[in-house]
Amino acid sequence: MKITKNSFIELNGRERAYAVLDKGTFRELLGPFDRMKSPHLEPQGIVPENDDGIIVARGTIDGESAVVISIEGCFQGGGIGEVSGAKIAGAFELALRDNENGTKTRPVLLFNTGGVRLQEANYGLLSIAEICAAVVALRQYVPVVGVIPGMIGSFGGMSITAGLFSTLIITREGRLGLNGPEVIEQEAGVEEFDSRDRKLIYQTIGGTQRHAAGFVDVLAEDESDEITQAVQAAFERGLQAAPRSSQVNRYLKLLKAVNPSKPFGPEDLRALWKKAEGSNAEIDAHQSTSATSTEANHTSKNRGRKWFEALTGIANPTKSDVPSVLSADGTLGNERVRYIAVVPNPKNRFPRARGGEVGLEEGWSIAKFVRDAIEEDHDGSRRAIVAIVDTPSQAYGYKEELLGIHQSCAGAADAYAAARLAGHPVIALIVGNAISGAFLSHGLQSNRILALNDEGVNVQAMSKESAARVTRRTIDELEEATKKVPAMAYDIRSFATLGALHELIDGVNADDPREKDIKVIVDKLLGAIADTRSGSNDLQNRLTSYEACHGGRLASIDVREKLKDQWN
Amino acid sequence: METLHYEYQGNKPLERRAHVGVVASGDLEILFEPSDDLSTKVKIRTGSEGFAEIWKKVLDRFFAMNDVAARIEINDFGATPGVVSMRLAQALEVSRDHENNEK
Repeated sequence: MKITKNSFIELNGRERAYAVLDKGTFRELLGPFDRMKSPHLEPQGIVPENDDGIIVARGTIDGESAVVISIEGCFQGGGIGEVSGAKIAGAFELALRDNENGTKTRPVLLFNTGGVRLQEANYGLLSIAEICAAVVALRQYVPVVGVIPGMIGSFGGMSITAGLFSTLIITREGRLGLNGPEVIEQEAGVEEFDSRDRKLIYQTIGGTQRHAAGFVDVLAEDESDEITQAVQAAFERGLQAAPRSSQVNRYLKLLKAVNPSKPFGPEDLRALWKKAEGSNAEIDAHQSTSATSTEANHTSKNRGRKWFEALTGIANPTKSDVPSVLSADGTLGNERVRYIAVVPNPKNRFPRARGGEVGLEEGWSIAKFVRDAIEEDHDGSRRAIVAIVDTPSQAYGYKEELLGIHQSCAGAADAYAAARLAGHPVIALIVGNAISGAFLSHGLQSNRILALNDEGVNVQAMSKESAARVTRRTIDELEEATKKVPAMAYDIRSFATLGALHELIDGVNADDPREKDIKVIVDKLLGAIADTRSGSNDLQNRLTSYEACHGGRLASIDVREKLKDQWN
Repeated sequence: METLHYEYQGNKPLERRAHVGVVASGDLEILFEPSDDLSTKVKIRTGSEGFAEIWKKVLDRFFAMNDVAARIEINDFGATPGVVSMRLAQALEVSRDHENNEK
């Protein structure tokens, strides 16, 4: 066994940032003495930390202006809440401003996180969407470099974020996956994934496997110098032609070659990936007779499908290889619109995605429909894209993690963000559930979010059972905490108080849309599209809304203002 | 969670502020800052309730051995008395070691 001389993993979050920056250049922004704590933990009886678990440091890397953000995994599992999320998003937004103004500030994120901090739930989701938006925008100017040293790794929404990065560096001890092993076990059963089997976990989502299967770029030893040099080298290489999250056809083709009803393990994926790298045409598509069935019997019609049919007038859109993702074009007034919805498909060839979840093929298919529209409108006027949102969750499963569902979700998020940046008005219409990784992939990168004011419309980061297990609380304790922190509540009216909704729409029949309901929604969509066309192409409106400024996002705004003051 | 307050007299003003530790399981975060007068005020937030007497003993011992006037904030996630004593000593050391503090 090799003895490491200067372990990077054993460094705490602050020491990791020191190590990556050029010697003597470390300058911390919003450090512990600024006391920018989370305002949401103490009311729940949880001891806060003065930096909220995020170290933002300015300095230089190889002599060039840089910002290094390090997540302290030992505080609340590196979970992303309102303040911690705003520190990351705000720092990336300022790095973007620098790059837009000609200063090539180099952005680095040192991951060590379980994803959304469940005690702040929807604040985590909103923050991660804002981080993703900044990464996609920044990546146009400068490589965005991530390190996943371990021991936690990067999970949940932050694995989707990682999937957007230009370069990812991992150690053997690092892990990268969307759903944590405990959550998969809770949601899908121990037969699907045994969270106590450490060997299984590392063989599926550990650094060595992720590198062999192409989900990360560099496999580094746990040596501080080696990691620092790998970061420098990533910037020296400069901008890459096509980030992983934009390689839609490559990944769809890879998935086509997998037969989900047969055993498929880490070695199989390595072989398949190697083959795919060698020659683009060599992968044989797995033929499945049931996969292309687009039959939708009435009982399986969820709200997503009903609203898709109501708005497009089309029951069975263009035959697609992935029948669970619907897409069709229509017109609203003078606006051309592409509608996209994810719907249940009881015959989905990936069994874990039969209930309308965003699974492996769903994420990449969304990306394809969005990117096709960007391509088709390249020289002309940019059509609007409407994401009809009613998804129970991302798909929880062993094969999902092995085949990189985080990357699939990143593919979808990247496509929506790219469309927004290209000038397509992107509107999310929430008619049912908007949950966790599924919402991050399909909805949260929109310029504007509309939601029906209805009991069946929910936004949340994790089911109560899983959240209770992960945070070691009872469901009763969770419900009690929800009363103090609206971001933990699931109902859409609580979500609306956070200020991210463009409009909460009253008086519409969500389950059975009739002509008058459709007319209301058409008007609201046209209003949101017009509003977008006259506004900016980022997500700033979520922080400037009345609700955001009057309580919903006060800490998010405060963090950004203070970061700006301390930036130079 | 409970919040505890303690006060001590000190004659030597703290030279410069110091921050050590993480609010991690079995660990704690300590902030030392210069105080306006020759008193030391300690504010503790701890996730483990009912240990006020033990906190007092650990602090009594620390200030009996170290004469310092400072404003001290502690955020604790179940650190043992041994870890608390070590972190307090470390914070004082960092506040006196200019180079280390400016690293």
